[in-house]
Amino acid sequence: MATPVPVLRLPKGPDPNSRGFDPNSPRYIALCRTTVATTEAAGGDEEELQQEQHARSVLRERFLRCLLAMNNKKVRFNMHENVTVEATFGSSDIDVLNFQVSDLHTPIGVQKEALIRSQDVISFTFDA
Amino acid sequence: MAMRQTPLTCSGHTRPVVDLAFSGITPFGYFLISACKDGKPMLRQGDTGDWIGTFLGHKGAVWGATLNMDATKAATAAADFTAKVWDSVSGDEVLSLAHKHIVKSVNFTQDSNHLLTAGNDKLLRIFDLSNTDAAPQEIAGHGAAIKKALWCNDDKQILSAADDKTIRLWDRTSMEEVKTLTFNTSVSSMEYMADGEILVITYGKTIAFYNALSLELIKTAEAPAPINSASLHPEKDFFVAGGEDFKLYKFDYGTQEELESYKGHFGPVHCVRFSPDGELYASGSEDGTLRLWQTAVGKTYGLWKCVLPVCLDNSSESQCGEP
Repeated sequence: MATPVPVLRLPKGPDPNSRGFDPNSPRYIALCRTTVATTEAAGGDEEELQQEQHARSVLRERFLRCLLAMNNKKVRFNMHENVTVEATFGSSDIDVLNFQVSDLHTPIGVQKEALIRSQDVISFTFDA
Repeated sequence: MAMRQTPLTCSGHTRPVVDLAFSGITPFGYFLISACKDGKPMLRQGDTGDWIGTFLGHKGAVWGATLNMDATKAATAAADFTAKVWDSVSGDEVLSLAHKHIVKSVNFTQDSNHLLTAGNDKLLRIFDLSNTDAAPQEIAGHGAAIKKALWCNDDKQILSAADDKTIRLWDRTSMEEVKTLTFNTSVSSMEYMADGEILVITYGKTIAFYNALSLELIKTAEAPAPINSASLHPEKDFFVAGGEDFKLYKFDYGTQEELESYKGHFGPVHCVRFSPDGELYASGSEDGTLRLWQTAVGKTYGLWKCVLPVCLDNSSESQCGEP
């Protein structure tokens, strides 16, 4: 009677909340040029690293506060191919891949609800 | 003591898995990419099947996916008329290459500097990835949609299989057709093995092996059911095939005898590939799952744990049974 080969566990499935590519994985830290190595900077200046990290967190916080402030405001999106559209901003998804907006004014009419792909957006402005 | 194969099921896709590819062996192990009709190709750790990330961006079914040798780049071919190149460490889309019809196949050169694409517009295209503004080189000739296009002979030549029931060998420099193989029926899959220059082709219930340089037939084998994909072990002692009866078949390459068959998938098997170290093979199916199968059943490797008559290993996390 053949016994089935035992397994330690099942393969890990996708995370429902993100697209993956863990920035803390050894491969990411070793290969991603834009990542600051947090453990040991190769020849980097300790103080420089700290300053850079501080700057990164300040910018990130500003960006997140900006997203919060935009909620329910009229926002103008400047996109590729000289496209400019206006909409009421809702929110962004966790990876900032899409922006959820309402009342999107397009040349072919007003879309009540829409998702704008963030990679299509060059810049956006709003009055705080 | 006879051991029964325990396939590892990788879930996550919501539609049929139509293509999969392994990278080479890198300092971080080897990796697996799967193309799915849900438009979201996934990257997994090759030896465990653990999900690493999903490439988001395509707006249609992804028909083909590939990784470069060191798994730093990925390329995908989709029904949204684009082929995309991705940074497979960060998951970011690096390049989107527009085509005139559904793209079915993508393949990197060994140095990852050029990408070969092919699809329903019957053209082979070569993109220079270091000069993306330049128009791709185009090779015409096939009379119907191209299913698969691969670099061969040290990237000096190209092999393409199309729905016009031919497989053609092209010279990369002259862009001319060198040789053609004609079949009575459509070829369902084609795999190229650089080491030994072997071409593995499947059509009907047949798995055929050709010399990739001369396109001379080496040998054929017959399976009990129509086969959609086959893969030859790196050491060329086995090959595996899967098709319409949902089963995976393992054959001896020397004698072409069927050694084993494995049940597990709930739908036709669309693609099967050996890992670069030959220790396992992965299959993708209409049922939306990928399954990893051991080449040597019972061996300790990846998530499979060898069972000893007297349990000397105290790790109590091992569990028996079908996933």
